[in-house]
Amino acid sequence: MSSPRIGIYGFTGCAGDQLMILNCEDRLIDLLGAVDINSFAMAKSDNQDGELDVAFVEGSISTEEQLKHLKDIRSRAKILVAIGTCACWGGPQAMKLEEGGFEDRYRGVYGDVKIEVSKAFEAQPVDAFVKVDMKMPGCPIDKTEFLSAVSKVVAGRHPYFYKFPVCTECKWKENPCILIEGRFCAGPLTKAGCGAVCPSHNIPCVGCWGPTDDLNVSGEYKLLAEKGYDADEIIQKIKKFGGAGVAKLVKNLDREREEVRK
Amino acid sequence: MKTLEIVPLTRVEGDGGITVTLDGNKVESVTLDIHEGPRLIEQLVRGMKPDDDLNVVPRICAICTLSHKYAAIRGLEKALGIVPPEKAQLMRDLMMLGENVESNSLHTYLLALPDFLGYPSAIAMLGDYGDDVKRALKLKKFGNYVMEVTSGRIVHGENPGLGGFGRYPSRQRLNELSTRATELVPDAVRAVELFSSFDYPKYPEVETTFMSVNAPDGKFGLAGDSILVSKGEEVDAEDYRRLTSERVVPHSFAKRATYDGKTYTVGANARLINMGDRLDGQAADLFKDNYSDRWLKNPLLNNLAQAIEMVWALEHIPEATEMIAALDDPARAEATRKSGSGTGAVEAPRGILYHHYEIKDGLIEVADIITPTAQNLDDIEMHMRTCGERMLADGKSDAELLPALEMIARAYDPCISCATHLVRLKRI
Repeated sequence: MSSPRIGIYGFTGCAGDQLMILNCEDRLIDLLGAVDINSFAMAKSDNQDGELDVAFVEGSISTEEQLKHLKDIRSRAKILVAIGTCACWGGPQAMKLEEGGFEDRYRGVYGDVKIEVSKAFEAQPVDAFVKVDMKMPGCPIDKTEFLSAVSKVVAGRHPYFYKFPVCTECKWKENPCILIEGRFCAGPLTKAGCGAVCPSHNIPCVGCWGPTDDLNVSGEYKLLAEKGYDADEIIQKIKKFGGAGVAKLVKNLDREREEVRK
Repeated sequence: MKTLEIVPLTRVEGDGGITVTLDGNKVESVTLDIHEGPRLIEQLVRGMKPDDDLNVVPRICAICTLSHKYAAIRGLEKALGIVPPEKAQLMRDLMMLGENVESNSLHTYLLALPDFLGYPSAIAMLGDYGDDVKRALKLKKFGNYVMEVTSGRIVHGENPGLGGFGRYPSRQRLNELSTRATELVPDAVRAVELFSSFDYPKYPEVETTFMSVNAPDGKFGLAGDSILVSKGEEVDAEDYRRLTSERVVPHSFAKRATYDGKTYTVGANARLINMGDRLDGQAADLFKDNYSDRWLKNPLLNNLAQAIEMVWALEHIPEATEMIAALDDPARAEATRKSGSGTGAVEAPRGILYHHYEIKDGLIEVADIITPTAQNLDDIEMHMRTCGERMLADGKSDAELLPALEMIARAYDPCISCATHLVRLKRI
C-alpha cells in the first residue's frame, strides 16, 4: 500500500499551526516516514498539486486568490481538516464579523492606494466557503492532539477531539477557580485541549481555542451578569478568537440583555 | 519583455512570491510580492484594554510571538508608567534568548541550509546530513522549551504580562535550562562552521545601512530604548516614524520602509555589525574569525550572523537563569496613569520590531506596529535587482537567476505574516 498523501496549507493567520507541525521535532521524522507530504510550502520547495488523501488547512480566508486556492485544495482532497482557531472560527481577524466597518478599517490602514495583488475581504473561517470534514481548533493546535489525529485520519478512523470546556481540564489540574476569585476567565466558554495552560499560570483563560461544543451562551451570559461581570465586555472578549462561532451564538441575546438591564 | 515568477516563495513563513520583469538583458523590475491576506490588527485593537491587546498582537506571528508580546509590553508599560520588577525584566531577557535560539536554528539549519547544500528541503537532507538535521531539531526544541518555561506555552504563551508574570518557573526548571544550554553550544558552533565554509556569491553585493536596537549597559542584547544606525548615529526609539517612513505599494499587502530615502537592513547581521564588539565568550571569537567588510554588502551572510548569535544566546542562558533563581517572586507592578503614549522596540530574530501605543482613559486609541520584514522588503528588492543585473550581464541563464534571487530573499528570514501588518497611513 502506498503512503497516504498529505498536503499542509496556510492562509491568513500567524502560521502557528504549521509551525506546531514543525515543532513535533523528533516525532516529525517518524511522521515524515509514515506519510507522503505532497505539499508543505513553509517547509519544502518540491511541492505538487495532485490528489490528496488528507488536506490540513490553517488560517482564515481573506482574499479572492486564497478562496480560489482553497476551492482547488478541496477539489483534490478526500478529507479536509481545518487546523487552528483561524481556520475553524476566523481567529482574531474575524473578531468584528457581522459588526460591519471592514471598509473603514481597510482604508484606515492602506488609504486609497489600490493593491493589485488580490482583492481583500473580511476574514472568515474555512467552512464559510467549502465543506470541512473535521475541525481541530487551537491557538496554536496542540502537538499531541495533532499527531494522534494524523495517525487516526490516515488510518481511515475518526480522531477524538475534546468536547468539553477548559474548566474540565482546569479541575483535573486542581487549580483554584479564577472566576470565583472575581477575575473574568473565559474557561467555561472555551473548548478544551490546551491543558488549561493559562489558569495553571494564574492567568485567566483568554478563549483562544474558540467556543466549546454545545455552548449555552445565553445561560453563561446571565450567570456572569449575576456574578457582577460586564457581560457585553465578555462577549467582546470571547469574540477576540471565537469570531464566526461566537457571532452566531450571540445573535439572539437581546432577551438576556433586557433581563440583565432590569 | 518577459516575466519570470517564483510563486510561492517556499521555506519562508507566510505566502509570498517574487516577480522579475526583464527587457532583453535589462532588469525592468524585481518585486517581492506579499500575497498573505490582510488582517488589520492595528485597527481591531483600537478601543481595547491593554491586557486584551496583549492577547491579540502576538498572534501576528507564531515564530516571533514573544517578540510581539515583549514589544507591546514595553510600549504599553511606557505609556502607563509601569516599572517592571527586576525578576520580570530578567525573565523577559530569558524568553527572548529562547526565541532567538528557536528561530535562528529553524532558519539557518532547516530553511536556508538546503539552498547551500543543493537540496529542496531539510527533509531531503535527512539521508546525507541526518546528524545536522537532528542537531537543528534539538536546538529548536530547546529554544521552544525555554519559551514554554518562561511564557507558559511553546507558541502564544500568555504568562508574560504588564508589570510581571503570572507565574515564575521553579529553580529546578531554571537549572535544567542552564545545563541544557551549555550542552548545546557545540551544536550551534557546528552551524557557524557550516555557514562559514560556503562560497558566498558576489553578485548581490552592494553597500546598505544597518539598524538595530541599542541594548543597554554597553552589552549585546535584544531590547532597548534607542536605535543604532550603522553610520554611527543613535536615535531615540520614540522617533521610530522618522527612522522607518512607511508607504504602500500596489504589489503587496505589506508596507515598505526607508530611512532618508534609502533602503536599510535589520536582522542578526545588523545586530552583529552594530554591536559585535560587545560579544563575549566563544561567540566573540567566532565573530572575530568570521567578520569581514563583505558583511556590509552581502545579505547572504545574515545566515552566518544568525548562527553566531545562536551561540551567544546559548552562552547567556545560564547567567540569566542563575540571576532569576536568586530573586524572590515579585508582585506585578501596577499602572501609575491611565493615559499616555509609548513605543516599545525589541530585536525580533529577523530585526527591529516596533509597537507604538497611545492610550486614553485606559483604552487603546492608536496602535502602530512596524515589523522587521516590512523594513527589509525594499532592501531585499534592491539586492535582488543588483544581483539580477550582474548575473544577466555575465550571461547567466534564467534557471540560474531564479534560485539566486530566492536565496537572497530567504537570507533575510522574511516573516510574511508579520510583514502583512498594516500600518496606519494618517494620524487622526
